[in-house]
Amino acid sequence: MDLFGSILSVAFFAQVLRLFTPYYLGASAANFSERSGVVNIAIEGFMISAAFSFALFSIVFGNPFAGMFFALIIGILLSLLFALFTIKLKVNQIIAGVGFNLLMAGASKFLIVLIFKSSSNTSRFESFYQIPLLKDIPVIGNISGDYIILFSFALVFIGNHILFKTRFGLRLRSAGENPAAGESLGVNVRLYKLYGVLICGFLASLGGIWLASNQNTYSDGMIAGRGFIAIAAMIIGKWKPVNIFFACIMFAFFEALEILLQVSMPDFPTQIIQMLPYFITILVLIGFIGKTKPPAADGISY
Amino acid sequence: MNKRIIVNIVSVLVSIFVTFLLTSILILLIGKNPIDIFVMMFSEVLGSGYGIGQTLFKATPLIICGTGIAFCFHASLFNIGAEGQLNAGAFVMSLVALKLGALPLVIALPASLLAGFIISALVGYVPAIIKIKKGVSEVITTIMLNFVIIALVNYFLIEFLAVKSTVRTEKISDSLMLPQLSDYFNSFQGSSANLSIIFALALAVFFYFVIYKTKLGYKIRALGYNETASKYLGIRTNALTIFSFMLGAGLTSFAGMNFIMGYKGYYELGFSNNIGFTAIAVALLAKNNPLGIILSSLLFGFLDFGGLAVNTEIPKEIMLVVQALVILSIISINKLTEKYLNKQKI
Amino acid sequence: MKAVEFKNITKTFGNFRANDDISFSIEKNSIHCILGENGAGKSTLMKVLFGSYKKDSGEIYVNENPVNFKSPLDAIKSGIGMLYQHFMLIEDFTILENVILGSEITAKTGINYTESKRRLNSLIDKYKLDLNLDDKVSDISIGAAQKTELLKLLYRDSEILIFDEPTAVLSPIEVENFFKIIRNFKEDGKTIILITHKLNEVKEIADEVSVLRKGKLVYSVKRENLDIKELGKQIIGDLELSIVISDDNLQAPEAKAEFEEIDVLLSLQNITLTENGLTKLFNINLDLHKGEILGVCGVEGNGQSELIELISGLNKNYTGLYSKNVRKISLVPDDRLKKGMIKEFSIGENLLMRLPGKNVFSKRLLKEKEQEVIAEYDVRVPEVGDIMENLSGGNQQKAIVAREIKLNCDVIIFSQPTRGVDIKASSFIHQKIYNEKMNGKGILLVSADLDELLALSDRLAVLFKGKIVKIFAGDEFLSGKQNSKELIGKIGQLMIGMEL
Repeated sequence: MDLFGSILSVAFFAQVLRLFTPYYLGASAANFSERSGVVNIAIEGFMISAAFSFALFSIVFGNPFAGMFFALIIGILLSLLFALFTIKLKVNQIIAGVGFNLLMAGASKFLIVLIFKSSSNTSRFESFYQIPLLKDIPVIGNISGDYIILFSFALVFIGNHILFKTRFGLRLRSAGENPAAGESLGVNVRLYKLYGVLICGFLASLGGIWLASNQNTYSDGMIAGRGFIAIAAMIIGKWKPVNIFFACIMFAFFEALEILLQVSMPDFPTQIIQMLPYFITILVLIGFIGKTKPPAADGISY
Repeated sequence: MNKRIIVNIVSVLVSIFVTFLLTSILILLIGKNPIDIFVMMFSEVLGSGYGIGQTLFKATPLIICGTGIAFCFHASLFNIGAEGQLNAGAFVMSLVALKLGALPLVIALPASLLAGFIISALVGYVPAIIKIKKGVSEVITTIMLNFVIIALVNYFLIEFLAVKSTVRTEKISDSLMLPQLSDYFNSFQGSSANLSIIFALALAVFFYFVIYKTKLGYKIRALGYNETASKYLGIRTNALTIFSFMLGAGLTSFAGMNFIMGYKGYYELGFSNNIGFTAIAVALLAKNNPLGIILSSLLFGFLDFGGLAVNTEIPKEIMLVVQALVILSIISINKLTEKYLNKQKI
Repeated sequence: MKAVEFKNITKTFGNFRANDDISFSIEKNSIHCILGENGAGKSTLMKVLFGSYKKDSGEIYVNENPVNFKSPLDAIKSGIGMLYQHFMLIEDFTILENVILGSEITAKTGINYTESKRRLNSLIDKYKLDLNLDDKVSDISIGAAQKTELLKLLYRDSEILIFDEPTAVLSPIEVENFFKIIRNFKEDGKTIILITHKLNEVKEIADEVSVLRKGKLVYSVKRENLDIKELGKQIIGDLELSIVISDDNLQAPEAKAEFEEIDVLLSLQNITLTENGLTKLFNINLDLHKGEILGVCGVEGNGQSELIELISGLNKNYTGLYSKNVRKISLVPDDRLKKGMIKEFSIGENLLMRLPGKNVFSKRLLKEKEQEVIAEYDVRVPEVGDIMENLSGGNQQKAIVAREIKLNCDVIIFSQPTRGVDIKASSFIHQKIYNEKMNGKGILLVSADLDELLALSDRLAVLFKGKIVKIFAGDEFLSGKQNSKELIGKIGQLMIGMEL
């Protein structure tokens, strides 16, 4: 009963909204890329790299905004490299993703040891200044005062508008659905794929930055598969920003529940909750829960 | 045809060279001398029986797992799920070995291996049947299954089977432990290399034979090259897809033998240490040829242990970066050679 | 005024002259039909005009100005629009999105849907296209999809419209509707180029007709002088029945007139095959006998490939009764690269994969089998064991024929066995087919080459729209072969759907 009460509490609800942020940023990242026809399974790697470089540069400059700036620059450069492999060289996108995941996870493990002489943690750093006034709202202050959380909420609407109401979105989607048709009408398909991959790198990086800022440190393994859960959320959300929002809320709920159970019921096997996102995704793919279909030319080099 | 083989070999060598070059630059950036580091690595690893033994030990599961993955890749099945497949298989393998510990080795060992194989193959059945029935790409299903399987193994292990306050099973009977190489050759003293390496080599050679010399192997490669033509050539493509996926996934389970029967005597959470992903790189580097996989696994084993050998100079984690660089350079150089070969033809 | 003028257009692919010195012009505000068999060069010529292909030589004028389009986009800008045979539509998009893509009307915050809809709806009304702009393309009929393609052209102000066999995918009612729309276009001052091989359509709508055969312009006629019979003749050409078998022992192959009931190998009774709502085969009744070559002819896409897949067991979704007295059927498919072989394997490997028995392929066995094929079928390879990709087309085909004959099945299907193969190789293949008949095999020969069919077949079935419209057999067929011109004329008319 105590547990039930905790779930219904405002604090729990606020926790869900906070945990939602990295999932949604990661899932939107994957979505922009896949809508342009490029499968990027290296969301995890991008989040890792951004979380680490954000921590590193925040410490170096003593300013989290400088840290964010450089982490985003690095994220965009890495996604440019990913675009070089997948769009220009047309290598298999999955294998490239496996390679990038290994590269970014490996590089941050390596650099932590090299720079911080620790096998697991960077040193701690000052986090973002919260937004004045908004941060002082009772109960939800640590949501309403957080730039990145607010951005991720806005992204639900911005993302939906860009994808479905603008020329840019129409052309980007044509690249992911039927690039030959787009090209026959004069759409520069590869350029839009590049845009998709770059936006992906930007958003995934922002997700990683938030996770590190939330902990005031980067520790090895802190992304903990969120990049893959983000892909799962995108699939369950049928590649639509609004549906992805609900999928991410569901996964954030699972995570908050898991944290709660670890405290209130230490014997509860949380592995079952951990595997739920992936398990549900498989059910959705098989068609047990709703029907879902990726962009028609997703993953095919053009 | 000969030219194609030569070009392929050259492209692999170029990829390795590019990786070494990039690694050298990385080492230079850190302010160390790459030549010193490489010399140190070579002399530490290859200069002693212990170093060689450890390289063999690290290469063993990669050979096995790489062969399984290559088998799927030959049929154009992108099995990214080896990590989950091999953990499920190895876990059950250790459980059966525990139960059968009292039986003679000739019964208990094959029975445990078979049990592991069957479980991994069943895990491989799931993406295969989903692909055939629902047309869903095996890539996403295998990625998702990795997490599901590992969480399940984790659950059963910790809830029911683990030794208290550890994340491992109990130790299997000593009678089931494989002999160490050092039992035969003194110079391997101290290394964990064991008879699994012989098994791995035999497996790779056997599957080299299956893939390149038998009708079954030809059918599988035909399926991978051209599914439509395969149908017209009388191949039952759906059945073969399931068979290849299950066999390839099943093979990965044997990677657990090296750790369980050859080293620790138990299944431990995280024992696989991403072998299932590293083996993808191993298979790619070898162009899915099992004999080549022996070589590329030895290279990766060398890098893995070599990292430890130079850890005083440079963090051993650099080898993770090197492994990633191997994948990225092999896929890009493959594409560039493909373009070159196509140009030559016209 | 001339909307388009071709002057001495030549386009080659390797040694093949797809367009050979073609010159003619298309009047503005007219419907100009271009006729010809498959491979006559119609589509190639249109792709040259549209900028998809680069011509080898010659000049093109549009509205009496010389043009040199580098890509279809240039052509579109000059007011030319192409309706492809295979639609270029995005299934997941609405009709509206498909049409405006690449030329969107935008406002400050994004696409201006109100204005887009207003403009498109006025086009829809004007030409009576009857489309709902918000429908998803994946949900609409093929006819509506085609109208969506038309709307794309209209939205981009195309004045010269190229239609590449537009009615092939339509039901009869949709065809009627489509012609109405085309007439509206003409009334509105547009120029229409219609590629087709359906004579009845030409008769209904053409202002002028040009016939291509084997890459050349062979005939042009205006509406007032239109004679359908003459057109049919021009399309198929003045074929002389040549003796294709050149073996010394056979002067001319004997055709059998009668077959015994007991010799039936395969029997199809009332077979109907429907795919995605389209009837591909309708009420087929056909027997194949021992020692018989049964020819099947028809314009491509009239059910041949479905018939082959059905008989060879690759497609089992038919209704009706199909009984066979043979265990296995071997098949030489029509497209050797896509269906006929694994091009990454050698001749020996392709053969052994198909042969029963032998599960291990030793080097010696592979070499032995390959040399058997090379010797018996005179296949030229760069070196023994080379992959089939490196063989010439004729040698690839001979190797495939060799493989399928060596399987020693009682029924062999040959689909386009000599397509794209030089004369020497094709007469060699004909000889082998004939030998198999003499060995008592039942042979189904599907071909677009009437020459080949008449020379080899004992009976000849004509397919049109998935139906067997006639089986030429017995004395009628045998004596008809004596006067081949007349017979070919008859067959040609049946193939394009004319009643005799």
